[in-house]
Amino acid sequence: MSYLELTNIHKSYGNAVAVEDFNLSVTQGEFVSFLGPSGCGKTTTLRMIAGFEVPTSGHITINGNDLTHLPPNKRNVGMVFQSYALFPNMTVSENIGYGLKVVGKPKNEIAKRVEEMLALIHLQELGKRYPNQLSGGQQQRVALARALAFQPQVLLLDEPLSALDAKIRVELRHEIRRIQQQLGITTIYVTHDQEEALSLSDRIVVMSQGRMEQVGTPGEIYNFPTTEFVAKFVGQINLLPVEVQNPAEGVVKIGSQLIRAGQYGHLNGKPVRLAVRPEELNPGFIEGSNNLNGIVETITYLGAIVRIRVEVEGHPISLDVFNERRMKMPVAGDLFQVNFPVDACWLL
Amino acid sequence: MKKPRFDLWSVFWAVAALLYFFVPLYGTFDFSLRMKKGEISLQAYQLVFSDPQFLRSFQYSTIMGIISVTISILIFVPTVYWLYLKLPKARPFVEIVTILPFVIPVIVYVYGINTAFGGAPLRLTSNTFTTDILMVGGYVVLSMPYMFRAIDVGMRTIDVRTLTEAAQSMGAGWAQILFNVIFPNLRIAILSGSLICFATVIGELILGDFLLRPALGPYMAAVGRDKAFEPAALAIISYALTWASLGLIQAISHGGTSQQQLTGR
Amino acid sequence: MTQTIAQSAAVPAKRGVLESLTKSNWIGLVPFFAFIFFFLVLPSTNLLMRSFQDFDGNFTLANYAVMKNPYVIKAYSISLRVSVITSLVGGVFGFFVAYAITLGNTPRWMRNFLMTFSGLAANFGGVPLAFSYIATLGRTGFMTAVLKSICYTNAAGVQVCPFNPYDNGFNLYSIGGLVLAYTYFQFPLMVLTITPALEGLKKDWREASANLGASPFQYWRDVALPILWPSILGATLLLFGSAFGAYATAYALTGGSIYLITILISQQIRGDVLNNPYEGYALAVGMVIIMGITILAYTILQRQTARWLKS
Ligand SMILES: Nc1ncnc2c1ncn2[C@@H]1O[C@H](COP(=O)(O)OP(=O)(O)O)[C@@H](O)[C@H]1O
Ligand SMILES: [Mg+2]
Repeated sequence: MSYLELTNIHKSYGNAVAVEDFNLSVTQGEFVSFLGPSGCGKTTTLRMIAGFEVPTSGHITINGNDLTHLPPNKRNVGMVFQSYALFPNMTVSENIGYGLKVVGKPKNEIAKRVEEMLALIHLQELGKRYPNQLSGGQQQRVALARALAFQPQVLLLDEPLSALDAKIRVELRHEIRRIQQQLGITTIYVTHDQEEALSLSDRIVVMSQGRMEQVGTPGEIYNFPTTEFVAKFVGQINLLPVEVQNPAEGVVKIGSQLIRAGQYGHLNGKPVRLAVRPEELNPGFIEGSNNLNGIVETITYLGAIVRIRVEVEGHPISLDVFNERRMKMPVAGDLFQVNFPVDACWLL
Repeated sequence: MKKPRFDLWSVFWAVAALLYFFVPLYGTFDFSLRMKKGEISLQAYQLVFSDPQFLRSFQYSTIMGIISVTISILIFVPTVYWLYLKLPKARPFVEIVTILPFVIPVIVYVYGINTAFGGAPLRLTSNTFTTDILMVGGYVVLSMPYMFRAIDVGMRTIDVRTLTEAAQSMGAGWAQILFNVIFPNLRIAILSGSLICFATVIGELILGDFLLRPALGPYMAAVGRDKAFEPAALAIISYALTWASLGLIQAISHGGTSQQQLTGR
Repeated sequence: MTQTIAQSAAVPAKRGVLESLTKSNWIGLVPFFAFIFFFLVLPSTNLLMRSFQDFDGNFTLANYAVMKNPYVIKAYSISLRVSVITSLVGGVFGFFVAYAITLGNTPRWMRNFLMTFSGLAANFGGVPLAFSYIATLGRTGFMTAVLKSICYTNAAGVQVCPFNPYDNGFNLYSIGGLVLAYTYFQFPLMVLTITPALEGLKKDWREASANLGASPFQYWRDVALPILWPSILGATLLLFGSAFGAYATAYALTGGSIYLITILISQQIRGDVLNNPYEGYALAVGMVIIMGITILAYTILQRQTARWLKS
């Protein structure tokens, strides 16, 4: 059953289109991420759900109620801002309780709820502090607790971790997911960080230039990207310009070397490209797989993984191998063979 | 659900402010042109400019202004320079001292000058030369908050230490460093401080009035006591002067980030 | 034990300060402090000392008995009243104008114009300002003439001019007129000092409060005003000070007929209304004390209302 529904949303500022043809239905308790580069319209879409922007056309409903034109303070939607937007003149407890105070809840009820929320974010001791006495990560948790305290129908987060350093980011990512699942709250999470989106979400909406590129589970998005944009934006990918040799069987060639693609549509004479992720490539020759010959260009150590760049018929291909001490690495200029399974690659 | 283009509440206050600014200005201007019954004339202005008293006090205030500006620069540029170079710890203290003229009402201050130096044993107010020294000292004190702030802001934007060390390595002495390196780099700050200092001197009433010197402020007050149209013309002339100098600051500092003001007392 | 540790830790720091003192670093500030001593410290302390002396130079507190003089009490109270009224009127007016040109949705040219004009008008004051008000709202002033000329013939066939200010109890040469004139530089001063604070109000705070269900009124009461409060207090103090010390405008406007404390002191300097100059010194010191108390009150209020500012 869909809970939050965005139908034919369109938003433009003057002549500039920020979001168009946006259609999404989110089920109750689902965690959906909007993923895309900066300026692609993620924040704008989120702000339309919160009520800070009004769509030029289209409708937004939650649980069947149309709230497209409802003012933000009547929506019962919790939002965590990129800047946290904690009120500097209020203590942590006052911040968390503010959403209950404005609707006139009794003091003892507010106090009880604030205690619960402080326990949820593991900051029981800090209720009396002011926001400027907290670290960035602590402020982030308080912002989350504040957005949840008044039991909103939907939780919205706009790049909530982007101002934090890498280690805390990973820690808080798990924290957000834990709390979301514990409360079972429907959540929209905006990010430009693919790792964040992949690791957190039930579903991901990849956006580009105001449009939805693809909607799917993290697995679908990563393994079966439907557009070049998604393939490139999420993870690493090799894209090789190829000529179609046999449209019926998905056989293509690069230079004089033949490749069979695992997934292909109608190859009606358009220029096509072969897509394959670096981790699918292996060194050496395997009968029955796709095999390509090339020359080693560079070797890059990335820690656990070593990325080898090979030039095949004038085009670079990267392959990732695990870094093992006993393995003998090739050097630049070596002749090199790579292979990959037929169903690891597809045509775009 | 289109938002209205402007919100009426804000436009109301903005318009009220514009009216508050302009009605007295227009009223003054209108009034200053009506000296001759039933016609528009510049007679009030002609009378002001042909009054030898006006010219004398204008000249006096201009000279006092130039002297005060010079003294003020000579005191504050080296002081602020020294603060940045050698004694950054003392800066907050000096800053507090420089805003004291905001706290001590001018009349009290002038009273203090009068009693401290006017009576025995110094009797500095008994001749015009020593009185003028007191006047200059007073003007420098009264414009000190603006002058200090302007130079302080300017000094912050230049790398005092590097400039000094570079000059020293080329064999420059202290005087050369100050006049050839620091002053040119502070041109804009010094100029804006100077203009405010100058405007203070031109508009100041109390010092001239109580030390009995022929400054522009007391002259205007005297004209106001027994004339009707000339004061309006004088007001317009004095606005034009203040605006020209403050407009100049704004133009030079490109709109200016530091809003400085001379409160009219 | 802990004490000695604390002491030994404190010693090097202290020596550092002392060293910088003795290393002739202060020599560059000698001209400044000499000037300050001669032109600020000497006059002020002279005034202060004399306020505690009698004619023969002996210590006395008798001069301060002048504070019991009804004229003096009246002068102080008029000065305080005018300062409080103009700083409130100018403060509130200036606040709304600053709101209009920062957060409000006003035409761009109006904002630029008002901002520039505030910079200029805050510098107005003194004698020319008084002249302007006389030329505008005096008995023969421009606005007075305009308002006077709004007339109609009533049912009884009599010509009535309901807007003549001087028929309605208005008098420019009164406290009301003074308030009107002071407002000319007070409200721009407020605009200049409060604008940065209004610009510092983050849009996110307003949106966060709306998101939590607060109405615009609740946002202003619970978030915006408490955050602005320290700045508002500071600006009001500045306005109070500038009105309390003001002399020239009042003098030129009313010719000294309104007994502000500054005017009383000026008459004391000029001639002699109190028969005793030493009482005049006490009056002047009294003004400084009032300013001091105001600043102290401001500091205390600031501490109490802005605990969140300190980290
Ligand atoms: N208030 C606005 N006025 C005009 N253009 C805007 C406004 N807000 C956003 N935009 C434009 O809409 C597009 C999408 O912006 P945004 O939703 O903030 O992107 P994202 O959050 O994905 O980085 C951008 O091109 C941006 O410039
Ligand atoms: Mg964004």
